[in-house]
Amino acid sequence: MEPQLIHELEALLGPTAVLSAPEDLMLYEYDGSVELGSPRCIVFPTSASEVAGIVRLANKYETPIVGRGAGTGLSGGAIARSGGIVVAFSRMNHILEIDGANLRAVVQPGVVNLDLSRAVEHLGLYFAPDPSSQKSCTIGGNVSENSGGPHTLAYGVTANHVTGLELVLPEGEIVRIGGRSIETSGYDLAGLFVGSEGTLALVTEITVRLMRKPEAVKTLLAVYDTLDDTTESVVEITARAITPAACEMLDGFTLRAVEDFVHAGFPKDCAAVLLIEVEGLTEAVEAQAAEITEVCRLHRAREVRAARNNEERNLLWRGRKEAFGAMGRISPMYYVQDGVIPRTRLPETLRRIEEISRKYDLQIGNIFHAGDGNLHPLILFDERDRAQFARVVAAGGEIMRHCVEVGGALTGEHGIGMEKNELMPLIFTPDDLALMERVRAAFNPAGRLNPGKVLPMGKACGEIRVPPTPSPAAIPT
Amino acid sequence: MSRSEQSSVTRLEEIVGGLYAVTDPAQLAARAVCGVRPAVIARPADPAQIAEILRLSAAEKLAVIPSASGTKLGIGSPPARYDIALDLSRMNRVLAYDPQDLTLGVEPGVRIDDLLGTLAEKKQFLPLAVPFSERATIGGIVATNSSSPLRHAYGGVRDFCLGMEFVTGEGARAKSGGRVVKNVTGYDLHKLLIGSLGTLAVITRVNFRTFPMPPAQGTFAASFSSAEAAFDFCRDISRSVLTPQMVEVADPGAGRLLFSPEASTRIIPMHWSVIISGAGQPAVVDRYARELGRMADAAKAAEFLPLNDAEQAFVCARIREFPRLVLEAAPDAAIFRIGVLPGATPSLLRNLNEIARHYQVDAATLTRASGIVYAAFFVPAGKGAPSIATASAVREAFHICSLPETAANAMLEWCPSEMKRVGIDCWGPPRPDYELMRRVKHSFDPQNVLAPGRFAGGI
Repeated sequence: MEPQLIHELEALLGPTAVLSAPEDLMLYEYDGSVELGSPRCIVFPTSASEVAGIVRLANKYETPIVGRGAGTGLSGGAIARSGGIVVAFSRMNHILEIDGANLRAVVQPGVVNLDLSRAVEHLGLYFAPDPSSQKSCTIGGNVSENSGGPHTLAYGVTANHVTGLELVLPEGEIVRIGGRSIETSGYDLAGLFVGSEGTLALVTEITVRLMRKPEAVKTLLAVYDTLDDTTESVVEITARAITPAACEMLDGFTLRAVEDFVHAGFPKDCAAVLLIEVEGLTEAVEAQAAEITEVCRLHRAREVRAARNNEERNLLWRGRKEAFGAMGRISPMYYVQDGVIPRTRLPETLRRIEEISRKYDLQIGNIFHAGDGNLHPLILFDERDRAQFARVVAAGGEIMRHCVEVGGALTGEHGIGMEKNELMPLIFTPDDLALMERVRAAFNPAGRLNPGKVLPMGKACGEIRVPPTPSPAAIPT
Repeated sequence: MSRSEQSSVTRLEEIVGGLYAVTDPAQLAARAVCGVRPAVIARPADPAQIAEILRLSAAEKLAVIPSASGTKLGIGSPPARYDIALDLSRMNRVLAYDPQDLTLGVEPGVRIDDLLGTLAEKKQFLPLAVPFSERATIGGIVATNSSSPLRHAYGGVRDFCLGMEFVTGEGARAKSGGRVVKNVTGYDLHKLLIGSLGTLAVITRVNFRTFPMPPAQGTFAASFSSAEAAFDFCRDISRSVLTPQMVEVADPGAGRLLFSPEASTRIIPMHWSVIISGAGQPAVVDRYARELGRMADAAKAAEFLPLNDAEQAFVCARIREFPRLVLEAAPDAAIFRIGVLPGATPSLLRNLNEIARHYQVDAATLTRASGIVYAAFFVPAGKGAPSIATASAVREAFHICSLPETAANAMLEWCPSEMKRVGIDCWGPPRPDYELMRRVKHSFDPQNVLAPGRFAGGI
């Protein structure tokens, strides 16, 4: 690559803040998805003005630029698809301010999600978005992808918890949008930038809302002998307007892998379990737990039990949050999807996934956010078997099409990235996409910022992308 | 009417049908925005007609302002141009309602009262307790980002709107988001339309998540002799485990407007009043009564009243309608809507009251404890030239809000048109992010057809 660019980056940031040796670049080729892409260099800025300087150099050398947090993303958002500079935010990892009285925190993008909750725990507060990777994923990444998590059922996704951003625009200009108060007049720019997957600007500072921990929490585990009974329970919990804080489903196949790994006490001989959490005032929690238990029993749950203490609760959640990792024990690779469906369509959708699994002779595990209809089918495969991988891609496409057919969406929380951008025409018309293109061009006119993401590149419309070589199984946490 | 205007009217008649292109002067006057009248009202039946009207407007360089009941046309800057009033009242259908999924899709002309009635049949609701509720429509509520006291528990429109369909300034039909409760597919363009005052696109469908009605609700009023005591009480609530539906603070000026006239409540209007609603199982509401009573005592409340059903209905409706009540009492009132951190609110209110005293205008403030202040300045009848004193107070209030120690975002939501013509920008002092907003505007409406001049930064 242009050695002059590396020299200039080193002059700007110092020699220890630029990596360009091939062995270093390899570590930044992948994220939590099955995608790959090699950058030309990695830079580690420590301030917004350094980020602005990097952006200006990228413009001078007409080089793509891609932001990266912890690299736990599941749609290739942080992968340098067209090469160029990867801006790693790991050194911008300071919590700049905690304002407990006003329930706000100001953080740099490299702050790890769980670290913020830990830093405000002594105030009885926490940061609500809780992706499964929260031990390692960064808030900057959460903002870019508009990440969710199990508890977004009750508390909303990242966008609902961000009030203001500092951005570096592709021209190198630093600008603030939104603020600290819950609303700012003018267009809701923060609403646009959160979830724009790094294609409109680089985020250098984030103001988030903090929430107060509830008085009481009750975690229930309902065990079922059929998938239909499980999904029908979810439908009825929603229809009865019970509002749990989280409602997660794990099927029997996934459970067995998890239990062997985590030993959380999940029954290994069942068809599926629901992991349901209710939170709030003690009185509300008791009433809701009783009603949920009634619904589960009505739908033939074999057993409904409550975690007796925090330890049991944490173990159940560990089982849920480390389930993807546990899959690594039984399969060399998996492809995780993120489709969303109306909650009333859950039973038929799970049956459809079973059919697709049989049709393509693939093992598909299901572990997902049932309460908001956000599926995570995990299709297991061995990357050495090219014919099998082609079936994986076809099966994934079929599941996605089903989600769209029943009125759903392509992704609930993982983002479009470079994995699903060619599927966008399944949901959006050419006019819809043209407007999104135009908004992207308004902020990122040269297309230098995270190229090849979110919007289709116009090659194979409606086709899922087949990576040339799938990456080794990254273990999402 | 000029010749080219006449030919445009003829084209509009062809698009929407003769009955639905109106040039009757009385009806045109009712659609005036800050004193500017349109040349014609067009009442489209569907998105296809809207797209045709906007293509025509882009080609003929006509300016279009969408509205339905027109209750909030007074919000925003005077239009630079205004040819067609696009009346969306005919588009008033509920397009999809799936109570079991708690999702809803509606056209912009649906009235909020009607919609809440439909939802109530299924024991559901939208947390939109917004002013002008008898006539306000979903399109107007979304386009002005109407504020609801229920925001405290449920967030604003952006937090429960799932997606929209709309027509851009070039007449292209587009959408973003979707109908499911969790979705990150593509850019969230619909969020830009919330509060955009019709300057980006004409909304043709809005999808929401709905909420289950709580089994029981209790509303409580605590009266305090000082602002400090009232806000200490609010701070204690926010530090407690309670998660109320709403927490509203009315100063004595607002109390007189909200509570005194019909004497339908026992609330003492001369005091600082804090109104709190808690909802859930009856045992939960009992808990609110106990805990709030205890906290009110600790904050030295003059009185703590659990309201009866009739009082609760009355008080919640009055709070919902606060801007309307101010305007009814003082049509020349200037009403700010201010986003401010809870911790900075007491000093902001002190400053605003100081300004009112200095310029000898009356003030009334209603504060949403989560961080929105409605602050009204007005001159009591028969006390001299209203606009001069009020305008001076408004200028100074903008200045106070922009100070770093206040860090508030003020928008002058309501004021007489004359005030806007004497150089008061209702959007406040210019901000660096206006440049980004202009880029957004240009993406949606490059010909500047939609509500030109009405928005922040001259958009």
